[in-house]
Amino acid sequence: MTTLTTEPPPPLAPPPALGRRSASGDRAFRALTLACGAAVLAILGLIAISTTTEAWPAFKEAGLSFVTSTRWAPNVDVFGSLAFVYGTIVTALIGLTLAVPVSVGIALFLSDVASRRLRRPVGALVDLLAAVPSVVYGFWGVAVLAPALLPVYDFLDEVSSPVPVLSTLFEGPSTGRGLFTAGIILALMVTPIITSITREVFDTVPAAQKEAAYALGATRWEMIRAAIFPHSRAGMVGAVMLGLGRAMGETIAAALVIGSSPQITAHLFSSGDSMAAVIANQFGEAGGLHRAALIGLGVELFALTIIVNIVARAIVVRAGRMR
Amino acid sequence: MRRQFPRFASPVAVALAFALVATGCGTDETDEATSDGASGQQNTVTTVKEDPISATLDASGATFPKAFYDEAISQYKTVQPGVTVNYAGGGSGQGRNQLRDNLVAFAGSDGLVKEEDKPSYKGGELLYVPTVAAPITVSYNLPDVRDLQLDADTIAKIFQRQTTRWDDPAIAALNSGVRLPSTDITIAHRSDGSGTTENFSKYLVAAAPGTWTLGSGSTVEWPSGTQAGNGNQGVAQIVKSTPGAVGYVDLSDAKATQLQFARVKNKAGRFVAPTLEAASAALAGAQVNADLSYDPLNADGADSYPVTAPTWILVYKNQPDRSKGLALKSFLRFLLTEGQNLARTVDYAALPQTLQERSLAQIESIVVPAP
Amino acid sequence: MVLVYAAVAVAAIPLGFVMAYLVDKGGKVLTLNFLTDDIPNSARTRGPGMGPAVLGTLLITGAATLMAVPLGVLAAVYVNEYGRKNRLAGVIRFLADVMAGVPSIVMGLFVYTVWVLRFGFSAFAGALALGCLMLPIVIRSSETALQLVPHDLREASTALGARTSRTILTVVIPAALPGIVSGALLAVARAAGETAPLLFTIGVVSTANLNLFEGSNTALSTQIFGNAKQPFPGGISRAWGAALTLVLLVFVLTAVARAVARRFTVR
Repeated sequence: MTTLTTEPPPPLAPPPALGRRSASGDRAFRALTLACGAAVLAILGLIAISTTTEAWPAFKEAGLSFVTSTRWAPNVDVFGSLAFVYGTIVTALIGLTLAVPVSVGIALFLSDVASRRLRRPVGALVDLLAAVPSVVYGFWGVAVLAPALLPVYDFLDEVSSPVPVLSTLFEGPSTGRGLFTAGIILALMVTPIITSITREVFDTVPAAQKEAAYALGATRWEMIRAAIFPHSRAGMVGAVMLGLGRAMGETIAAALVIGSSPQITAHLFSSGDSMAAVIANQFGEAGGLHRAALIGLGVELFALTIIVNIVARAIVVRAGRMR
Repeated sequence: MRRQFPRFASPVAVALAFALVATGCGTDETDEATSDGASGQQNTVTTVKEDPISATLDASGATFPKAFYDEAISQYKTVQPGVTVNYAGGGSGQGRNQLRDNLVAFAGSDGLVKEEDKPSYKGGELLYVPTVAAPITVSYNLPDVRDLQLDADTIAKIFQRQTTRWDDPAIAALNSGVRLPSTDITIAHRSDGSGTTENFSKYLVAAAPGTWTLGSGSTVEWPSGTQAGNGNQGVAQIVKSTPGAVGYVDLSDAKATQLQFARVKNKAGRFVAPTLEAASAALAGAQVNADLSYDPLNADGADSYPVTAPTWILVYKNQPDRSKGLALKSFLRFLLTEGQNLARTVDYAALPQTLQERSLAQIESIVVPAP
Repeated sequence: MVLVYAAVAVAAIPLGFVMAYLVDKGGKVLTLNFLTDDIPNSARTRGPGMGPAVLGTLLITGAATLMAVPLGVLAAVYVNEYGRKNRLAGVIRFLADVMAGVPSIVMGLFVYTVWVLRFGFSAFAGALALGCLMLPIVIRSSETALQLVPHDLREASTALGARTSRTILTVVIPAALPGIVSGALLAVARAAGETAPLLFTIGVVSTANLNLFEGSNTALSTQIFGNAKQPFPGGISRAWGAALTLVLLVFVLTAVARAVARRFTVR
């Protein structure tokens, strides 16, 4: 051992007096954080219990038809939510169909294609998309998008009438507000989520794999297909599922542009209704069994989003295990 | 023979002054009546001097009379500057629901409370205070059709989506000489629990019993392929922005949104436009019950507009809070006195004189705790 | 590669339109009067303002922040620092994730049934609902920030003789602070823009109500929602102004959050 300093090392242990005081303070602090953790648990438990107990009378009254029937008639105590489930799922799917390609494209742009200078503004663009509150999207949808889309829908209706499947999907008449417009607004809202998660996933692809692809003579697109996508499949699925969950739970923007007239229909330009939107529209006037049924819709929606999340997690885990 | 509806003029003011002095309200009040010409223009004031009150009244409910209440609230600020009234709208269903749960001081409702629901109202006994009435217009968006005539059967078929295009023979039969386009009809109705829906559907049940199958109520199971809006204003918005749309909207909102509305065939067989005079004609013959509920829909009379709808303010007879109770009575009194004058300016029909007096008496029966 | 550029364009175009309309229509009405004047009684009236709504948004969001952030940060501290091998901590983390997925309107319904029916509408009820919404966001972002603090720092502090609580308070939290603050600001930004939890908890007013616990209140988001459903130009232009105000508020919060995260993170 070589020479060290000549001074004696400073004492490591704090003086006993300080230790005694801080022992009880330490316990107090720990108790405080534990209390906060328990409080969070209590709050969530309270939400789960109170919503389920409030909704129970409606579930009992309707039985399985709550989920399977399409007839929702509060003034005669008939509650069937299928039309709303349909509206929720269809608008979410339309939103995803529009959002996923765009999000993946932007994520690729940000992680691999863009020069350093372009990365900042495009990243800011995505942040801006995420920051706009849903009510502003909804308001813009009602005030600007729906009226602007009305002639587009009429045009598509005319143009697609000879084509078999498309003619049903695009059949009018429309007011500009309906399932498809709601889907577009949802797409705007979930794009940032899917983009940011997908981009993080893309960033984790080892540079070695990308360089290997290039070394083998791949073009950029081939490199993406060969190195990035296979590695990121699980993550991308996870991102899409998260976006799906967000789209299904979106209340306000959908309530403004969806048309608020529930029906199960293949006419995408015509009006529909979603679970969250109908809760927002009808809760103010609902008492008794009607209120229970609306809370039940909230529970049903929540259950659906949980299922989506569980499936997403399962896929991610399985894909991780397979590699 | 045209029934002359009494215009607001000195006789009414003097009668009210007598009535108020005679019933002897509990607060310090002096009455001053100023007379006006018989032109029926806005009275410069039957001032009832009250002690200043300070309170906040939260309220919600029918969007049908909302334009009237909004205007009255603004004017009332000059009478009692210390009282803040917040009328939130939201539909008759919401008003009744929030009154039941004691979240609001009073509720606007175009419909009555069902008997079986009354026990669940937390504040006890309910009172109906009629305030104004107005036509429900059948508003449409066809820029090239200036004048449209409809009858109950055709309206029923349209709103049940049995008639789906504007140039349908059923509509053309009522509108000879008018070029109707082949546009699809888009129906606009309410997505919230609505007294306007209730009255509109009640009218169709009464006037088109064979054709209208959807019953009546604050919500109706509308056919698929329709559009729904929140509040009368929401329906007006849909009709305004969709070519070929048709919807039921109160006169005030329809005019303010610059919608066109149809003339509807009344019980006497005449096509009548939704005007205040026609509404007053419908009100004149309506039977008023003991609790001040009444039904001017599908009224008799050659000049009556058949879809004239009533509206009330629902309050609890026993007010728990003194200053809120006093403010409530003061505001309601305002609605039934000066308010009746300004109703016309926002396209609402004032109540017939006898109904005004009975409403004022009803207001006086509200019990406020002693200081 | 064209596709990738096209994707960026497809996202940029609608955003561009939204921004353009906001700035154009909202900018026309955004004056100082707009931010301070009372809301006109009737939607048909033209002219300013949205003062009570601005106040309401600040009041409600502020109260929600005061409730949710300390609670969430401390809960994250428990889960991350004390609860590593603890079952309870795992449950809390799992449930916080679940809570993040609850649709925002359900939060509003919950507060309505347990609070509003007993105590009436108030800004506080709205703050409760928003707080429930913010809590999982704060917990998750704080947890991430705490996890990123290198273990060496904790071990060094313990080696110097500090108790766990002292380590946490003097070493870990300061190191994680940029992440915690940034996460909290993002939660605030999200809460400020929310409408659904406020729909059935705060009521509606047209004059400012500074009382947190008593009386109905209003907020920018609910005002925009209400005005979006009616046809009168006066109400619509006020909605644009309110939308622009709200978006600016959220942008500022988000930008500050990002700046804090970038500038102060210990690398």
